[in-house]
Amino acid sequence: MNPTVNRDPRFYFSLPRFIALLRGGDTRRAESNAVEAWLVGLMMYLVHYLFFAHFSPSRLSPWLTALLVVLLAFWVWLFWLLLLYLNSLIIKLLRLGGLFRTIPIRRAQSILWGVCTTAMACALLEDSPWVREIGAIWLVAVALNLAAAVVLALSNATRPSGE
Amino acid sequence: MNRSGNWTRRFAVRGVFWRQYLDWATVNMPFYTYPVLHFFMTFFFFFFAAPARRIVLAHLAIILPGSSRAMNYLRVFRTFHNYSWTISEAAIHKLNKEEFAYEIIGARWLDQLGAAQGAIVLTAHMGNYDLGAALFAEKFNREIRLVRAPEPDEQTAEHVSASLEKSGEGAVKVDYNTAGALLSFDLLNALRLGEIVSLQGDLVAGELAEIRARLFGKEVRLPNGPFVLAQVSCAPIYPLFIARVGYRSYQIMVCEPIAVLRSGRDRAADIAQAVEKWGRVLERLLAERWDQWFAFAPGFLFDEPNR
Repeated sequence: MNPTVNRDPRFYFSLPRFIALLRGGDTRRAESNAVEAWLVGLMMYLVHYLFFAHFSPSRLSPWLTALLVVLLAFWVWLFWLLLLYLNSLIIKLLRLGGLFRTIPIRRAQSILWGVCTTAMACALLEDSPWVREIGAIWLVAVALNLAAAVVLALSNATRPSGE
Repeated sequence: MNRSGNWTRRFAVRGVFWRQYLDWATVNMPFYTYPVLHFFMTFFFFFFAAPARRIVLAHLAIILPGSSRAMNYLRVFRTFHNYSWTISEAAIHKLNKEEFAYEIIGARWLDQLGAAQGAIVLTAHMGNYDLGAALFAEKFNREIRLVRAPEPDEQTAEHVSASLEKSGEGAVKVDYNTAGALLSFDLLNALRLGEIVSLQGDLVAGELAEIRARLFGKEVRLPNGPFVLAQVSCAPIYPLFIARVGYRSYQIMVCEPIAVLRSGRDRAADIAQAVEKWGRVLERLLAERWDQWFAFAPGFLFDEPNR
């Protein structure tokens, strides 16, 4: 634990870390940013929700539609719990094969969650215009993030001095 | 405490399964999944932890008089939601060793406590005492003995003790508050040896001795033990609370110490005076931080729903 002091904000994702690099801020990875946690978590939930909504029957009475909207919200939660478990099995297998051994499990999970959500966002591109927008926003954010990750890796900006 | 002989007990609201699941999830969950998962887990426990829900509702009715029952249900949800964040952040601290920020209110008293030769920390079921104890041990390089209300399930108790001791990196020792006299002598001895003992002063667990106090204009039950212990050992009582103020951010509040006098003939009156001071501190705090008072077991009101 550290006393609260006015420090530069730190980020987890490469894109805000790259922006921090441009502004002379702290580029080290951290999971302490509430805005990132809420923004990415809610965006991810929205993509998953819309993906499953795509499979729901379209001609229902208003009451049934309302019920479905609520049930779908809980289904996505259950899906997340399942995804977490399935990913943990995949990570175990990958670790047996020598992959993902040097990073924490939750970061390996993060990569798999990103892959799964991006696949779902691609599927949203064939839906109605505003759903397509959501999918496109996710895909653009992923692309920018990957580009920023490459720049950060090449610039050695994330390594402490002397390393 | 029950040994979880019956396999299904593991899945009870206070069963060990949920504690173990939390640990597993903490290692596995990307940090950005917490807001959504906490919301739904809160929903789940809001429906299944009915006794705790009723108790919190009864507490809110006296802390916020005049508020509607419907609004108080939403406040119960908020309290449960805060609890889910609090216990998960304690697990993050224990298992992932992530960074947390804190600010201290009453630093003067905290420094005094850190240097004290025998003192009682009196706290409430509030915020994150795993983090608080770990911080105290780290900041002052001192051992602390935490006395907790017993868990209904033995395996859960073992898990919680191990978690607290791991968070405190060996500087935190956990005892369970039961009706026996042995622990009292043990704590008295610890205080006389100059140690710091942390007790919870907001709920009366099981058959423990209680004292009547007036909070929010209503007669309530508070534990007698901390005050008797302070009187016998001549140790000061430091009211200390740890509240969550935001994402991975905490506030440590330390108040002016309460001395329990030994004026001679009327020891009960001396204790009553100290209890009144503690009651005022607790009342002020609960009025401000009702959404972080995690008093999910009976032991505060005389007419509690589960009594």
